[in-house]
Amino acid sequence: MLSPWLAVSDPAWSQLEELSREMQKLFGLYAPSGNIRGVVKGTFPPVNVAETPEKVIAYIYAPGIDPEKLELTMEKNLLTISAGRDTAAEVGENTDPAGYYRRERFSGTFKRVISLPESVDPSKTEATYQAGILTVSIAKKEEQRSRKIAVNIS
Amino acid sequence: MSETKEIRTQERAASPATAASEEKKAALVPPVDIYENENGIVLLADMPGVSKDGLDIQVDKDVLTIKGAIAQQIPEDAKPLYVEFSGPGRYERAFTIGPDVDIDKIEASMKAGVVRLFLPKAEHSKPHKIEVKVA
Repeated sequence: MLSPWLAVSDPAWSQLEELSREMQKLFGLYAPSGNIRGVVKGTFPPVNVAETPEKVIAYIYAPGIDPEKLELTMEKNLLTISAGRDTAAEVGENTDPAGYYRRERFSGTFKRVISLPESVDPSKTEATYQAGILTVSIAKKEEQRSRKIAVNIS
Repeated sequence: MSETKEIRTQERAASPATAASEEKKAALVPPVDIYENENGIVLLADMPGVSKDGLDIQVDKDVLTIKGAIAQQIPEDAKPLYVEFSGPGRYERAFTIGPDVDIDKIEASMKAGVVRLFLPKAEHSKPHKIEVKVA
């Protein structure tokens, strides 16, 4: 005999199930959640990727990082960023970091690998760090850029 | 030619409406760290994309409000491929502060997208040692 739980058809149960599924989706626990390198919400630092006809740009929202300690590598189309920050050290000399009320900011080291479109040319990468946003722009390979084609009228 | 014009007017008509809905959308909530030392309270907030000019800190009676507008330069022809960080382009967070904070002496600074506030305690509310007399 089937477990009585499996045979339940009360609409209240299915609503609960749906709610639970929605919650799992919300927290990124529901499979399949996309790319294998995808992350759950709230991962530090969040990353956005955009493209223009000439280049691919990755924006990494990582405030309070020492640019000297930032490591950035490009291997084929994989962009790797690793850095860290110690929020307890940021507090200042005359404050005991143990005396906190809230500690919501990320502290520690991170490493993220971002898979970019294969059209990028890793040898043409530029990076800037401003107002806590790391912007990495990678030129697309010449032959993979979209170009306008003139139509000849005969 | 006339088609292009029509699209343009539509865009123009749509932009004030989007600005209004942007305003209505709940702002991003920046994560904060709050510490206390004997002289006052230290608050650190992550607000990437906000520069010194975009920061707005107000104290109204006993409410401290921190606001920040994100000024990020993105090329006009950029199309999003993958998005983890999105929202209305501004941050806002408020805290209730007690009467022990000297609001005239609040200090604020900004570095690499991190706001640092120091809320000094008023002289009268600083801790002082009480001598215990031995009888």
